[in-house]
Amino acid sequence: MGVSKTKQPLRKRGGKARSEERRFAFLFVMPALLLVVVFRIVPLIWGFVLSLTDARGVTEGAFIGFDNYAELARDPAFHDSMANTILLIATLPIWIMVPMLLAILIHQGVPGGKFYRAVYFFPATLSSVIVGSIFNVLLRNDGQLNQFLELFGIGAIDWLGNSNTALLSLIAVQLWATFGMSLLIFLAGLSTVPSDMIEAAKLEGASMLQTFWHVIIPTLRPIIEFVAVVTTIGVLTNMFGLIYVLTAGGPGTSTTLPEFLIWIELGRMNRPGYAAAISMVLFVLMAGIAYAQVRIMSRNVNV
Amino acid sequence: MSEFTVGKRQRRLLWGISVPMALIALTCVYPVFFALNNALKSNREYILDRFGIVSEPTFQNFVQAWTRSNLSEYFFNSVVVTVLSVLALIIVSSLAGFALAVLRFPLRKLIFVVILASLMIPVQVVLVPFYKTIIGLGLLNTRAGLILSYTAFFLPFSVYLMTSFYSGLPRELVEAARIDGAKLTQVWWHVMLPMGMPALITLGILNTLYCWNDILISLLVLQDNRTLMVGIAALRGEYTTNVPLLTAGIVLAAAPIVILYLVFQRKIVSGIAVGAVKG
Repeated sequence: MGVSKTKQPLRKRGGKARSEERRFAFLFVMPALLLVVVFRIVPLIWGFVLSLTDARGVTEGAFIGFDNYAELARDPAFHDSMANTILLIATLPIWIMVPMLLAILIHQGVPGGKFYRAVYFFPATLSSVIVGSIFNVLLRNDGQLNQFLELFGIGAIDWLGNSNTALLSLIAVQLWATFGMSLLIFLAGLSTVPSDMIEAAKLEGASMLQTFWHVIIPTLRPIIEFVAVVTTIGVLTNMFGLIYVLTAGGPGTSTTLPEFLIWIELGRMNRPGYAAAISMVLFVLMAGIAYAQVRIMSRNVNV
Repeated sequence: MSEFTVGKRQRRLLWGISVPMALIALTCVYPVFFALNNALKSNREYILDRFGIVSEPTFQNFVQAWTRSNLSEYFFNSVVVTVLSVLALIIVSSLAGFALAVLRFPLRKLIFVVILASLMIPVQVVLVPFYKTIIGLGLLNTRAGLILSYTAFFLPFSVYLMTSFYSGLPRELVEAARIDGAKLTQVWWHVMLPMGMPALITLGILNTLYCWNDILISLLVLQDNRTLMVGIAALRGEYTTNVPLLTAGIVLAAAPIVILYLVFQRKIVSGIAVGAVKG
């Protein structure tokens, strides 16, 4: 009896409740949607339109078609930023191998593993401004690194002032500052590797190296892919702060990456139209990779 | 058991590997030691001995950085902006996550995909129009402008995490609350917020790091009234030769994050893993 009593009003409320649910649902997602549309999606389209103008300073600028893109093709600073990007991408295997190896070792039970995990991640919590300022002092010609190397009879190297070493220094510092993040991702992935598989391999008499290659690496494949995607996006779009304080893009253009060039063209050169064109190139460069990330992420949520 | 499976040779190998790993760990903490050590030196002592451990510690550099170089002002600015941005991110993403994961409404999937896809548009890609948007809305050089910007740019991952967290909760929770006649806003406040606490704390910590550490967005939006990281970058430019003063500024700017990490290390480390395992 009690059941039918409560069931009746519930069904009656069904239609009303559903329309109320719809109303509130829209209300709840609206702030998020609005922020994303106003600050990211509309600007993306607007940015493309701007890239087709010769806007300078605050003047609107006239429509000039793809002239900005044609100028990019001739701009040596842009060429350099692209060459630097290619070199950066070429180092990606290191960005993946180093944290993977360390994560596997920690997972295999190196003494003090928990401690290493915490310490390795620490630099990733620091601002690129702080990391850059510290290394700017350490890597100077009369800096602490050269002083340290002198103990081994190695002569001073102007790490940041020499265009041959500046980009490599920048890459090394960024790698140092972020490998802890990838390490945590690998550790999370390793925790899903069934431990009885590793035990079984060991019982079979497999060496540590064999276990690596035949058990751990194959099961880690999706994680390796994910780290590769996240790292690529990171090096394409997350190095502004470090460049800004460590090298300011120099000497010359030797550490200028597209994201820094965008900033220079907007700020120092006051050419928003041209800066927008570089932005579009950067977007195309990373869109494919970012699409892969979004695919991976949405695969894991049932909406 | 493991004593039998892990041979003596392997255990010795693991100890051997521990040595280079300890060296890497040393490099991870050295820069902070470096900053603190030199911040305590007088400029004279630094010039005489750049490598050694401070012999006559002085707090003069901290005082000077804090007062004369305006770091106190920048520090306050960063605290206000970070706290309010993180609060906004938590509220906006838990509301959106609640709707996207639990409620039924048209275009739900599309809205989720649109928010997630905006991950593909980092701030560099829209730098110029974003700047113009901030000017157009009259938000240039306002804290509100910076808070809105942070919320917009750090939002997609937060919404993603809350949606994925809430979709793992039993639906009966919400149904039960609704049968009791609770309004959906009350369900959010009394059920979804408390239930979402583990994910919300993770988001709170991560977004605190992002907001506190950012420089690009704040360089653009707050041009007069600097945040701490912009202030440190400027300090580096002005005092290239006065390393003790610079490192004192660095220590002050890093201190909140270092303390946060020391206190919440476990939470931060596992929080990153939560987001990662999803991949």
